[in-house]
Amino acid sequence: MPWSDTLDPYGRTISLGGYSLAAVLAVSEIVILALALHPNVNADYRAYYIDRTTTCLNRDAIGSYSLGQTVSFRSDGAKLAAGMIVCGWSGPVADGTHSLGETSRLRLQIPPLRNGLKATLQMAAVIRPPQITQRVMISVHGVSVHKVTLSGKEPTTVSFVIPHAAFSNARTFEMAFDYLDGIPPSQAASNIYKRSIKLVSFRLDAV
Amino acid sequence: MSKGRTNNPVTTVKSTGHAPWVKDPKHFEIFRDYWQGINEHHLIAAAVVAVPLMFGITGLAIRYAAVASMSVEPGFESYARALCRWDCHWYVDISERGYERFPIPNQSNVGRWGFFPFYPMLVAVIRGAFPFPTILVATITSIACSYAACLVAWPLLEKNMRAYVLYCAFLLSGPFSFHFTTFLSEPLFVLLTSCVFLALKRSSYLVAGVSSALLSATRLVGVLVVFATVIQMFQQHRERGGSTLSFPRWVLGRPDLLVAVLISPAGLFAYILFLYVTVGDGFAFLHVQRAFGRVAGNPLLFLWDGLSAVPTTGWLPTAPQWSALAAITGLALSVVLVARKQYGAGVFCAICIVLPLITNLASMVRYVIGLAPLIMLMAVLLSASKLTWLAALVLFLGACYFMTLAWIGGYLALV
Repeated sequence: MPWSDTLDPYGRTISLGGYSLAAVLAVSEIVILALALHPNVNADYRAYYIDRTTTCLNRDAIGSYSLGQTVSFRSDGAKLAAGMIVCGWSGPVADGTHSLGETSRLRLQIPPLRNGLKATLQMAAVIRPPQITQRVMISVHGVSVHKVTLSGKEPTTVSFVIPHAAFSNARTFEMAFDYLDGIPPSQAASNIYKRSIKLVSFRLDAV
Repeated sequence: MSKGRTNNPVTTVKSTGHAPWVKDPKHFEIFRDYWQGINEHHLIAAAVVAVPLMFGITGLAIRYAAVASMSVEPGFESYARALCRWDCHWYVDISERGYERFPIPNQSNVGRWGFFPFYPMLVAVIRGAFPFPTILVATITSIACSYAACLVAWPLLEKNMRAYVLYCAFLLSGPFSFHFTTFLSEPLFVLLTSCVFLALKRSSYLVAGVSSALLSATRLVGVLVVFATVIQMFQQHRERGGSTLSFPRWVLGRPDLLVAVLISPAGLFAYILFLYVTVGDGFAFLHVQRAFGRVAGNPLLFLWDGLSAVPTTGWLPTAPQWSALAAITGLALSVVLVARKQYGAGVFCAICIVLPLITNLASMVRYVIGLAPLIMLMAVLLSASKLTWLAALVLFLGACYFMTLAWIGGYLALV
C-alpha cells in the first residue's frame, strides 16, 4: 500500500519520513552536483583534463644538467634524459625520445648565467605521407626562440641562441616544443597520441 | 531424505488405511498430486541451485585447462593471476591501495579514478576477513557473484529451465566466462542489474532503488537503470488506469517511489563527492578518460570504421569488426526487448551501449555481454527449439576453452 494512502498516525509518520528522506537525497545530490561543477583543481589539471587546452600535463620534474654536456635521448642516455622530461614524450628508445601529443616539455636545473645560451638539438621528423615535414616551434619559458621545419627520416642538427631575457627570471630552465603537423595514429584518435619528432640529443652552451 | 523413513505422507496413507478420506479415491489423488507437486517443486529448486554450480565447476575446469596449456605454473592462484588481464590490474590496485590524489605518483597522467569503487571495495572488505592475495579473493567473489546472478535470473527467465541452463552456461562456462570470473566489474554488475529487474518485476521499488544505488557505484552506466525504474512505474500507473499527464502527480504522491528514484544514483553521487574531496574534481572519472585517449565522436562513424576494418589475411573478422558486430547485435536485442514490451530493460541496454559508443568501440564486446537483460533474452531465444538450445550449449562450452586462450593472449576485441 502506498505510504501516502495510509491515514492512521503511523502511516502519516512513515509518509512524512519518506518525504523527508526524499528531500534529503534530492538536496544532497544537488549540492554534490554543484560542487562537481566547480572543481577545486590547479591550472595544470584544468588545462589537461577539463579544458583540454594542452596535451602535455605539467609535472614537477627537474633534471640535473651541466652546461656543455650533450645528453643523449636514445636508450643509452635514458637515465639523464628521463629526469629532464616533463611531459609529451615517449621513450627513450633506440632511435630517440618520441614526441607524444601537440606539445612536449623539458625542464632542467642550470647555474645562474649573465648571458644567453646556445642550444644544439638533434631531431628527426616523424613522417607519414602525405605528411613529409614537421614544423616545430621551440620556446623557453613561453618566449618563442626558434622555428624549424624538419624533413627526412635522418636526424637534423638544429642550433639557435636563447636570449638571456627568456630565462633570466626563472629558477629553472624550461624548453617547450609545439608541433603544428602532428600525425594522429588514426582519424578518430585523441590528439594526445599525435607523433611529430624524435629528439636524439640535447646540448646547451653558455654564449 | 532417507528412504527408510515414513515421513512421506503418501506412504503413511498407504500403511494406515483407516483415514476416512482414503476411502474416497478422489481425495487420495488430490493428496498424492499435492505431494508430487511438492516433490517436483523441490526437484526444480535443487536443479536451480545445482545447474549454475555444475557450470561453475565445468567452467573452472575448462578455463584452468586453457591456462595450464599456456603456463607451466600450477595452482589456483597462478590460474587467477593468468586470467587477470587489462582492467583487472586497475581493480587489484584500487582494492589494495585505493585512489590516488593529484598529482598522480610516478608522473602518470592516468589515475584510477575512471574505475568505480564498489566492487574493489567489496573485495577489500572480504580480503579483510580472509587473508589471501587480492586476486584470489576477487576471483572467488566473482564466481560467487556470477553464481548468485544465475539464481536471481531464474524468476526473470519465467522459470524456463532450458533458458536458465543456457544462461548459466553462458555466464559460468561460456565463451566470455573469464569476464565473469576474474576481477572485473562485470560479475557484480550482472548480479545487481538482475536484482534491480527482479525487484521491478515484483514492484518492489525500494529494493530496486537500493540495488540501483549499488549498481551506480559499480559502473557509470549503472546509474542509467533509473530509467528502467521510472518506465516500470509509468507502466504500472497506466495499467491501473492512470493517464500520462497524471503520472508525475502520482509519483509525487508516493514518497516510496520518490525515495526509490532519488536513491538510485546515490552510489554515483557518493563517488563524485569522494573524488571532489580527494582530487578536487567530482567528475575526475570522466575527465581522466582524456588520458586513456577516449574522444567523443559520431557513434555511427565508429561503427562504420569498425565494420570496414577488414582482415588483411584470412577470413576471421578483425577486433574492430567484432566490436562493431557486438554493438549492433546488442542494439538489435535491445529493440527485441522493447518489442516484447520489456521497455525498461530495452531502453537501459540501448543507452548502456550507445553511451560508450560515443567515445569509440573499445571494450564493446565486454560491455554488451555484461548486460544481463540481453543475455537472458538471447538465452530465451536460443532455447525456443531443442536443437538450437543444444547447439548453443555445445558451442558455449567448446568456445570457453579457445576464448580463454584468446583472452590470455591479449586479443583486443575481448579487452
